[in-house]
Amino acid sequence: MMNPQRLSLSFSSTSYKYRFVQGFIRALKRINRQKLATSLLSRSSPTEIYKRYLKVKSAADASMASAVGLRRAWSRALLQRIRDQERINFGNKYYKYCPAGTRIRGKSTTFTMIRNIKRSSDDRNCKDQESINNGALGWKANELRKLVPGGEAMDMCNLLDETAHYIKCLATQVKLMKRIADFASA
Amino acid sequence: MQPCSREMQGMSSLLNASSSQISLEDLQQQQSQSSSSIQGSQIHQIHASHYEPPPSHDDFLEQMLSTLGPPSWADLGGQPGKVPWDTTTTVPDGNGPNNKPRDDETPDNVPAFPFDESANLASKFRNHQISGGCGSKSAAAAAAAMMLQHQLMLARGGGAAGAGETGLVPMPLSLSNGEFDRSQNDVVDGSSSFKSPTSGCDAAVQALYNGFGAGSLAGAGQAPNQFHHPQGGSMAAQQNYGASGPAMNQTQAPSGSSGAQPAQPRPRVRARRGQATDPHSIAERLRRERIAERMKALQELVPNANKTDKASMLDEIIDYVKFLQLQVKVLSMSRLGGAAAVAPLVADMSPEGNGGDCIQANSNGGTHGRTSNGNTNNNQTASSNDTMTVTEHQVAKLMEEDMGSAMQYLQGKGLCLMPISLATAISTATCHTRNPMINNNHHHPPIGSNGEGPSSPSMSVLTVQSATTGNGAAAADGSVKDAASVSQPW
Repeated sequence: MMNPQRLSLSFSSTSYKYRFVQGFIRALKRINRQKLATSLLSRSSPTEIYKRYLKVKSAADASMASAVGLRRAWSRALLQRIRDQERINFGNKYYKYCPAGTRIRGKSTTFTMIRNIKRSSDDRNCKDQESINNGALGWKANELRKLVPGGEAMDMCNLLDETAHYIKCLATQVKLMKRIADFASA
Repeated sequence: MQPCSREMQGMSSLLNASSSQISLEDLQQQQSQSSSSIQGSQIHQIHASHYEPPPSHDDFLEQMLSTLGPPSWADLGGQPGKVPWDTTTTVPDGNGPNNKPRDDETPDNVPAFPFDESANLASKFRNHQISGGCGSKSAAAAAAAMMLQHQLMLARGGGAAGAGETGLVPMPLSLSNGEFDRSQNDVVDGSSSFKSPTSGCDAAVQALYNGFGAGSLAGAGQAPNQFHHPQGGSMAAQQNYGASGPAMNQTQAPSGSSGAQPAQPRPRVRARRGQATDPHSIAERLRRERIAERMKALQELVPNANKTDKASMLDEIIDYVKFLQLQVKVLSMSRLGGAAAVAPLVADMSPEGNGGDCIQANSNGGTHGRTSNGNTNNNQTASSNDTMTVTEHQVAKLMEEDMGSAMQYLQGKGLCLMPISLATAISTATCHTRNPMINNNHHHPPIGSNGEGPSSPSMSVLTVQSATTGNGAAAADGSVKDAASVSQPW
């Protein structure tokens, strides 16, 4: 039986931090280059700012997710979502603009395969969701599912598992981004 | 085993005493009056007086029983060396009157006909055991089990048998079997060893119980109803004990009603007290435990996790995840540089579908709010007029689409809306020197393009800058139709 200790032990934050910072800085550099390349007039318009914000945010999320790798359901779902968004936003440019740190092009098929396999093994763990879904907790569980990437297809105990890991990674991400921002602005 | 057979004999003697008829009332009276141990002792006395086991078997059983040394025997005999069933010694009785008639009844009574079968079966069982069908250890365990069962049965005493002596025997047997698993571990071990050894032993046990059932059936003769009722009661009692010793109970119940059945050693999960062994409920229990574990792990991660309720804990988790996600968004925005960039994006987040989070962030995120305001403040002190213009434009634009997002935007900047009259009142009351900052009507024309008709001065809005900027100055801004809400600057 899994014990609460296992969650904290499996979260090796150092490697996550390093990989996240690496990927993120790379992405920021790329975005900066793009920003310099675009015209000066449109730079400070709200739409441009908004687009750039989206880029930065997706770069941050993607680098965090790729730092975690493909072993967590939420990271897989997040990477998938970012890929789809990029495809929508940039069309042809998608294959040139690869989110920081990820090399999805070659591994797209493996990605889907791993996702399917992992999902089936997860489903076997917890059965009989009806009582949870129908009860008072069901609504909150659905709320949580919307928040956590990839949480739609999960049952309660897997959802809680993923939420715990996701919270840890988010907290790390926020801490690192703050430090980068302070460093950059100082 | 001996105790049970003696039990039967005692019952038969009681039976015979009352003119060979089952007198429910007498039995009930006697049983209710006497204390359990006393009754047991009486029964033992009864048994002892007319039971004469063959010497060889006697020695073996003596050995077994003496090694096991149950407390009830000590109560009875009081003398370690003596064989317990030689009860010539006086037993501590409280009930004189009940003693006498029993003693009078018993001494010369030969075991009645219906109980010969049970006696035969008992001896057969003993032979089984002695012949090593089961091995001495299990035999001893079986004997211990039987004796404990006997104890329990006696302890139940008058309360158990509600409907006569025919019911007394099968019911206590089954009841005590039910109690088997509920009471001490050694009893459980004994009963489990009942099942685990060779099938021969189980068959012997089965035969014994069946024999008792048959004996009581035969003896019941006159009162089949009574028998069925206690049988049903015993079965119900068995079921009432939950699933303790399910195999035992199951083997008991059918044995009582039908003939001898072969024992079925089933590997069953021994359930804890009060819990079912149904596979579905086990799975449910496991699942619930897993969920509880993970909730506990989450509790350590999330701050303010002192809630014991699952629902409120989930609420906290949801809020915390939203807060963290918002922090990421704001931090990714702030990197683009400047308050001008931050503010509109804070407002622009509402189309993304997280409008509620903006307000939440402002109330929850202490550090976040401060940092964003810090950035805002730094830039504003540097180029406050430019910032104000941009802010005003932004607010105007937002008010066009959605009042809520406009409010959020202003809140994000640490600004609030208030009616112009109030603003003028405050400004005239507090600060006169900061007049340059108050530009009331100048901005109306450019903002009037939003089409809301800002013609009347009463419609214009005064925004008060937050105290954190350090200015403390009041600045007028924008225009709004309705009387604006005032929010506290922080």
